[in-house]
Amino acid sequence: MSRKLFLVATALFWMAVGVAWLDSRSGSATPVVPPVEVGKRFTLAEVARHATEDDCWMAINGKVYDLSAYLPEHPSRPDIILPWCGREASEAYRTKMKGRPHSGMADQLLETYVMGSLLAE
Amino acid sequence: MLRIMPLALLTTLLVGIPVYWAFPEGLGIWRSAAIVSGWLGSGLLLANLLCMIREPWLAQWLGGLERMYGWHHWFGLAAYIVILCHPLALALDAWAEQPALAWAVLAPWQQSWPGWLGWLALLCLMAGMSSALASRTPYSTWRRLHWLLAAAIILAVAHLFVLGLDFPLLWSPLLAIGFILWRVVRADYGLAATPFVVSEVRSPARDIVEVQLAPLSRALDARPGQFVLAAFHDGPNFRGCHEFHPFTISALGALGELSLGIKALGDCTQHLQSLEPGVTASIQGPFGDFLSGQAAGRSLWIAGGIGITPFLARLRAGPPTSPVHLVYLYRGEQDAAYLHELRSFAQSGQHFSLTARESGSKAPAFSDLIPATPELPGTNCYLCGPPGLVAAAVHYLLAQGVPGGQIHFERFDFR
Repeated sequence: MSRKLFLVATALFWMAVGVAWLDSRSGSATPVVPPVEVGKRFTLAEVARHATEDDCWMAINGKVYDLSAYLPEHPSRPDIILPWCGREASEAYRTKMKGRPHSGMADQLLETYVMGSLLAE
Repeated sequence: MLRIMPLALLTTLLVGIPVYWAFPEGLGIWRSAAIVSGWLGSGLLLANLLCMIREPWLAQWLGGLERMYGWHHWFGLAAYIVILCHPLALALDAWAEQPALAWAVLAPWQQSWPGWLGWLALLCLMAGMSSALASRTPYSTWRRLHWLLAAAIILAVAHLFVLGLDFPLLWSPLLAIGFILWRVVRADYGLAATPFVVSEVRSPARDIVEVQLAPLSRALDARPGQFVLAAFHDGPNFRGCHEFHPFTISALGALGELSLGIKALGDCTQHLQSLEPGVTASIQGPFGDFLSGQAAGRSLWIAGGIGITPFLARLRAGPPTSPVHLVYLYRGEQDAAYLHELRSFAQSGQHFSLTARESGSKAPAFSDLIPATPELPGTNCYLCGPPGLVAAAVHYLLAQGVPGGQIHFERFDFR
């Protein structure tokens, strides 16, 4: 009985993974990135006004992101990510965990929160 | 019911505390399901590891080693199923955001260390579970493949550490490592074992040896009906397999000697048929409470093959104080171990009678062996033997109106 349970659970798991893979290969599964408004630019001073847990903007690699909705979902401890709200966080994003960058999946996810570009000062 | 209370309480704590501390607030349903399934799975793994620890005092407290190994099996399976839900719930959470992100959450090449370690832990768990549930694998291979499950736990702990763990939850992975070390150092490397030496070997039947062991340091506080885990090492002309296997005590000596009946059932026990005096052994235990607290009144003992040993130990310790009838079944004449000794106990006539029967390879007709008398439902029944024989005997006794609480049996299924 336990072997049957194991086999059924394992088969269902790999079927679900397979469905996710097939879905990614269909054309509809391209990440939708919100259009950045032409000319929508923010200075670091504007970014700095959004430096709280409920209103958290970050400047990463020349773009500005509103990560307020994402913060509760970030896997690490809040005290790791919260200090970067309202700041230029490119270096922190590139060097998480002893110099290693974020994953490709994180890059895709980040783009769904883009607001505009950073105005060079 | 009272016997499983301590284990139920400990499991509730091991599963409940991490789930309570990590329970998400204000997150989406799938994100919350992913977090809860991760911590629920880790709590069940902790309970699984607790049931793997082999200490006589713990086994006594948690209802016996055989029951602990049963729970170890089911906790492991439950943890596996819950943990499979963890990555799928994360993918569903991403899918709810954008369908394209679901595969990005699962694809290992789109991950970093937390994802890689999570995948490695899951694959080790999958491979380890597959081998653990394979009944036909030789025991030594099965044991080696079981290390995959320990590797899965270590990788899962690393997965939690690189995710960044808060202090209140830190005890959970530390406890997992502690439980594994406890088991490996105390049981597998024999730190909890007592040294003995083989003082006598005799062969009471085909493929069975009875080994008498003398303590080299202290004697064990054992009772008839209990079993020990024994690993045999080297002697003048013997090289041991150094693996711990369960054996029922067949006699207890006045100076702390133990006798064990060993039947050739696998590679190691086949090799033990050539044991010789002077071989050293590590003994863990004693475990079990079969025949202890034997209720007053009539008793029926049913033994199949090497399952005769706990009853033999009881008879060798002294005549029963209330009427006992023993039904002893053996495959063929050459397998009838200890039959002469049992007949001499029966001839002494002190509350002990015997029915010995050659049964071949099939389960016997119990209606011929155990007549359905009016006294049978009030009889305390003790069974020890191969699982098929025990199952058939339990079925027959229940059908004759013997209450389940009066049927006691031991199976020695430690895989």
